[in-house]
Amino acid sequence: MAARVLQQCVRTLARPSLRLASGNLAAVAPASAIHRPLSFAADSRRTRWLVQSRIPSVGVLCRQYGDLPPLTLETIKDRVMYVLKLYDKINPEKLQTSSHFMKDLGLDSLDQVEIIMAMEDEFGFEIPDAEAEKLMSPEEIVQYIADKKDVYE
Amino acid sequence: MAASSRTQVISLYRMMLMESKKFPSYNYRTYALRRVRDAFRANRTEKDPKTVERLMVEGRQTLALIQRQ
Repeated sequence: MAARVLQQCVRTLARPSLRLASGNLAAVAPASAIHRPLSFAADSRRTRWLVQSRIPSVGVLCRQYGDLPPLTLETIKDRVMYVLKLYDKINPEKLQTSSHFMKDLGLDSLDQVEIIMAMEDEFGFEIPDAEAEKLMSPEEIVQYIADKKDVYE
Repeated sequence: MAASSRTQVISLYRMMLMESKKFPSYNYRTYALRRVRDAFRANRTEKDPKTVERLMVEGRQTLALIQRQ
């Protein structure tokens, strides 16, 4: 008799879904006082298992990839201005986001080509000739890159 | 300078710079970039269409030469 109760307890621990059925059997058996706490233990273990399974699923949602931070208009603007400041023919003190390369900064069309090539290097994509010659100020470059990279407010 | 030849010159300049950047050795790369920039800048005030045409042919030959390296 005791051996059968022990066997049931082990089975209950292994499969908590059988708890109700084994509980009914234990009510008939005289050793129910010992059996009940064990089945409660099995129950709490199951809930603990459920709670644990919920935490990793949150972790999956927060998975992080090794990549640059996402582009925003602000970061694009900072990077464009940084590249322009490093260009040797531009005076960094005169540089404004709205300044025209030829009228305000005194550059020529060859310099403008080089600026566009520097932007291609910085952002890693090609700008076609037809569009490159229209980009004449830092804010136009920022706007163009934001359009190409699907960055909006 | 006519608009079409202006676009052609700028396109050639761009191509030559891009090809010059592909030199693996620092010495050749820097030399080629400097050479291309100086050559275009030296002739930027050229007005005579014939001279511009001759320089363009010369530039295309140099571009082919850079690409062969």
